Amino acid sequence: METCSPFIEVNEAIREMGGEDLNNCMQCGLCTGSCPWRLVDGDFSVRQMIRLAQLGLEGYESDDVLYGCTTCGVCVQRCPREVAIIDIMRSVRSMIMETGAIPKPLQAVVGSIHSNRNPWGEDAEKRVAWQKELEVPVFDGTQEYFLFVCCTSAYDRRSQQIARSMVKILRAVGVSFGIIGNEESCCGESVRKIGAEEAFQTLAAKNLGLWGEKGVQKIITTSPHCFYTIREEYPGEDSPVQVQHYTQVLASLLAEGRIALEEPIEAMVTYHDPCYLGRHSGVYDPPRSLLTSIPGVEFVEMDRNRENSLCCGGGGGRVWMETKAEQRFSDLRIQEALDAGARILATACPYCITMLEDSRKTTGAEDKIEVLDVSEIVVRAMGL
Amino acid sequence: MIREIPRVGVYVCHCGANIAAKVDVEEVARFASKLDFVESARDYKFMCSDPGQQLVVDDIREKGLNRIVVASCSPRMHEKTFRKACQKAGLNPYYFQMACIREHDAWVTEDPGEATDKAKELVQGAVSRVLHHESLVPRTVDINPNVLVIGGGIAGMQAALTIADAGKTVYLVEREPCIGGNMAKFDKTFPTLDCAACILTPKMVAVGQHENIELLTYSEVVDVEGFVGNFKATVRKKPRYVDMDKCTGCGVCNEKCPAKAISEFDQGLSKRKAIYSPFPQAVPNTPVIDRDMCIYFKKGKCRACEKFCEADAIDFDQQEEKITLDVGAIIVATGFKPFDPSVAERYGYGKYPEVYTSLEFERVNNATGPTEGQIRLKDGRVPETMAIIHCVGSRDKNHNAYCSRVCCMYSMKYAHLIREKTGANVYEFYIDIRSPGKGYEEFYNRVQSEGVQFIRGNVAGVTDKAIGEDEKGKLIVLAEDSLSGRFLRVPVDAVVLSVGLEAAEGAEAVARMVGISQDQDGWFNELHPKLAPQATPSDGIFLAGCCQGPKDIPDTVSTANGAAAEALSLIMREKVEVEAAVSSIDAERCMGCRQCETICMFDAIEYDSALNVCVVNEAICKGCGLCASTCPNKAIGVRHFGNEQILSEMEGVML
Amino acid sequence: MSGKRKKIVAFLCNWCTYTAADLAGTSRLKYEPDIRILRVMCSSRVDPVFILKALMDGADGVLVGGCELGDCHYQRGNYYARRKVAVAKKIAADMGLDPERIRLSWISASDGPRFAEVVNEFTREIEEKGDTPVKHEAYV
Ligand SMILES: Cc1cc2nc3c(=O)[nH]c(=O)nc-3n(C[C@H](O)[C@H](O)[C@H](O)COP(=O)(O)OP(=O)(O)OC[C@H]3O[C@@H](n4cnc5c(N)ncnc54)[C@H](O)[C@@H]3O)c2cc1C
Ligand code: FES
Repeated sequence: METCSPFIEVNEAIREMGGEDLNNCMQCGLCTGSCPWRLVDGDFSVRQMIRLAQLGLEGYESDDVLYGCTTCGVCVQRCPREVAIIDIMRSVRSMIMETGAIPKPLQAVVGSIHSNRNPWGEDAEKRVAWQKELEVPVFDGTQEYFLFVCCTSAYDRRSQQIARSMVKILRAVGVSFGIIGNEESCCGESVRKIGAEEAFQTLAAKNLGLWGEKGVQKIITTSPHCFYTIREEYPGEDSPVQVQHYTQVLASLLAEGRIALEEPIEAMVTYHDPCYLGRHSGVYDPPRSLLTSIPGVEFVEMDRNRENSLCCGGGGGRVWMETKAEQRFSDLRIQEALDAGARILATACPYCITMLEDSRKTTGAEDKIEVLDVSEIVVRAMGL
Repeated sequence: MIREIPRVGVYVCHCGANIAAKVDVEEVARFASKLDFVESARDYKFMCSDPGQQLVVDDIREKGLNRIVVASCSPRMHEKTFRKACQKAGLNPYYFQMACIREHDAWVTEDPGEATDKAKELVQGAVSRVLHHESLVPRTVDINPNVLVIGGGIAGMQAALTIADAGKTVYLVEREPCIGGNMAKFDKTFPTLDCAACILTPKMVAVGQHENIELLTYSEVVDVEGFVGNFKATVRKKPRYVDMDKCTGCGVCNEKCPAKAISEFDQGLSKRKAIYSPFPQAVPNTPVIDRDMCIYFKKGKCRACEKFCEADAIDFDQQEEKITLDVGAIIVATGFKPFDPSVAERYGYGKYPEVYTSLEFERVNNATGPTEGQIRLKDGRVPETMAIIHCVGSRDKNHNAYCSRVCCMYSMKYAHLIREKTGANVYEFYIDIRSPGKGYEEFYNRVQSEGVQFIRGNVAGVTDKAIGEDEKGKLIVLAEDSLSGRFLRVPVDAVVLSVGLEAAEGAEAVARMVGISQDQDGWFNELHPKLAPQATPSDGIFLAGCCQGPKDIPDTVSTANGAAAEALSLIMREKVEVEAAVSSIDAERCMGCRQCETICMFDAIEYDSALNVCVVNEAICKGCGLCASTCPNKAIGVRHFGNEQILSEMEGVML
Repeated sequence: MSGKRKKIVAFLCNWCTYTAADLAGTSRLKYEPDIRILRVMCSSRVDPVFILKALMDGADGVLVGGCELGDCHYQRGNYYARRKVAVAKKIAADMGLDPERIRLSWISASDGPRFAEVVNEFTREIEEKGDTPVKHEAYV
């Protein structure tokens, strides 16, 4: 057995950099036992990582351990000591970030953030290319909403459908909205989770500056990640900016009778709660109310739903990293949706769409089930 | 009366580091020494200690001090202590004032400089107040020698017996149809494994038969008035519909009753009748009729019990009754209720029939329980493997942050019983084993050597989703074994949830009624957690058993005896000093407007029509001060809380 | 927190709010240090004159604390207190004093956190109002 001495300076550093709760952990193991990694073959153990970090022993910082966490939040929700485990992850990752020893794919992400203001290595000047013929109005302070399109929905072809669907819906309903343009930047949520705290702060400042300048007061986001970070992590306690995830906006429009879902969709539909919309933000009902209001839809829940939803595997920077085939949570999720008898697996997050679409293809479920964003389904049901 | 010139002594307490770590006590003493009329000012490590008090006594005698100010903890804590010290030195105890620089300053202020400044002002307030103090003679009133005990669990029973054995009258009020509390539901008790009924039944019988105990079951205290030595309690006796004097407890009514209901006593695991005794050895053994379930009450006919009762004891016309009791002391022993695990979904309670709470499992083990003491699954099979999950609802900030203290031990009791009765394999899922107590660690070791497996891991879930063949038809317990760092799936036949303890239903109402407080978790607060664990800040109210926090039976019984001793020590005094701080009316200034008479909440003020003035009856006055603040002529003063005293303190703290 | 501390006088009833203040202490809750606590047996003891005198003597704020309505140790004292404080506010306003510098709160004995919260809230409000003008205008 290896003989070690505790390196308490590391413990202190982690606590100073945002992992204040580190010492509150009593090592009960509920986190490790509840972690989605237990459903696949993998060594990642939250408890063990925290233990090593408490004592400053080597091992907590290895790629497989430290970057395995998807920040899904199950452990945080359950932790009997209310340890903000994700903050500890973030803090340790920030320390590693400072040494530069972060996993390769994440280095590319950070680089792209600096040069392109998006994590995808895409041209900042092509940010609004997704709109193609849609000619979305430019936000100039006269519209009610600013539609904040997630970098993923801006650049990823599949994900662009979410942004485009939103434009169609809002336009059809007559909501006044606009996008700012290529000056927009990434919200920074996942960037922060991989430990790039400075980059995050810069992005937040940039965004807040730009929104202030344009007179933004109400924001609709396409991604739960942007929604969460703007609401919970952006500086300024009484920010004048009010942010909503699009499912919330659409659900209220539906309740007000401004959206008519009249085209039937004859199918069994299930809904996958994105971690950052559900567990992290407590938004469970709006997407469900949209789906269940569509004629023909037979709504079923998967075994794990709402607070217990299973992570798609894309959070915490994992969306940019390679995950071995046998370790993909999204594969399990596709299976769960099939087990529930669903023909459509609905969700409301660009990352989830990416991960689940991948799994649908790689597990050969292409003919069995469709993966759709709630916005896309609403477009269908409105007959747009 | 010639007023002597005040010679004030000021004492600033360090309270170890409690005050001194924040407040510069020497600086405060130095500051105090410069105030008008202050003869001497000093700081000292522990003012409430004997040498600390002696300091005051000696200074009064040697330096001729006639006013004392102690700056230390809250007056609710030690005012009496220092008043006594003054008295010992021959100074009227009311020439004393306390400045609270611990609870209201050192412990709540971030910055030491600010804490010191605040302490100075508080001391200054106390000094300027004490200059206006007057010598008062405490009044004494007779103490009623009867004691009221609320709650008839083992705590309330023990306290009642101890007091009754001393020859004093006890009223024991229990809201259930019979006494015994939670302990009556158990089979065996850790760590000695003696049978609960064997040790409890004789006690219950003793309580039932004791000539000095008046047992009021199926009753609740609904109001308490008065003060130490002279409480008046109103008790509501719910109708049993069975005449206790006539009933012989033969049980025929129960046999003949056609209406069934869920047995609360068996935790819902069995049925009882509409006329029932919770369990065979119940004390008193007079049954009650459950009005909601009784066919006669619901539909207007049946009366089967009445037909068969030879003693003619059934009385459908019984009405609720209210009685008042005069007592000198009250012991609160309302116990606990188990945590409801259905709020923590992951344990599958309520979803899987083979997931039991510990209290349910006590009934399963009990010879008078639903399975007559045999450990059987719902389908009658003998379990081959069982899991016991510790800390359900305890040590968890999502539910109760505290440790419930008894669950580790009773869990191991179950492990032993399961091994003994069925030979099944037992897994105990724990976070830490807490076995401090006589014979407790030894019991832990014994259970280990009996083959019980201990897994250190907080359970992540219980599921029936089998993966392998060996999991089919089982419940699978999921947890990390944090010692080996492996994730375990443990297939078992049944799961016992070791639920924690929570304050009893209705504890809040009891607290309000008797004027005591609850901590953030709902447990009653004691006067001092270490040195006055059975007393409360309300004189004459004492605590026993689990109502003040989770405890095992030995500790419950000790606290019950402690509370009984305190109650006895109070009532044996026969007389009690009560606050001299009551109102008085200056007849010179009173214009007879009678406003005070109208508003007084205790009818303590009378109008003397001959003199056209109002007069305070000091024996009744409680000293709230409402009349003083209402009197338009400022003719009413409250002793010790007079305008001058309050306003001079106010000026002092604002300087 | 910056600048000079304010003078806030608190009259707390012995049975509830004073006990809550003790509990805040035993629970080591930190709160703003501007407050000076005076003990009265019941909130109904607080004569409007006390409140007005405090303000005229230069207090920046006056807090009166009693038991929750219905819980007064003397049964209904706090209902009277409520009226007395209302009267004090009215007179204060008539005298040109700011009635918002007077606050009445019901805090039960077991609610240490609420006490700390009320103190912080009230201190903040008083901070925002700034120093009482009384001492500058030299009231007589
Ligand atoms: C599952 C389990 C197993 C345990 N096993 C053991 C063991 O093996 N050994 C051991 O030492 N300890 C054991 N304990 C602990 C033991 O139960 C307690 O120490 C003991 O029961 C406390 O007694 P009590 O009288 O304080 O409270 P309780 O037993 O709760 O009695 C309180 C009584 O007050 C009554 N009451 C409540 N409110 C009112 C009211 N407002 N008016 C009138 N009456 C009221 C209740 O009806 C009840 O009868 C166990 C606890 C649990 C939960
Ligand atoms: S005793 Fe608290 S308000 Fe009357």
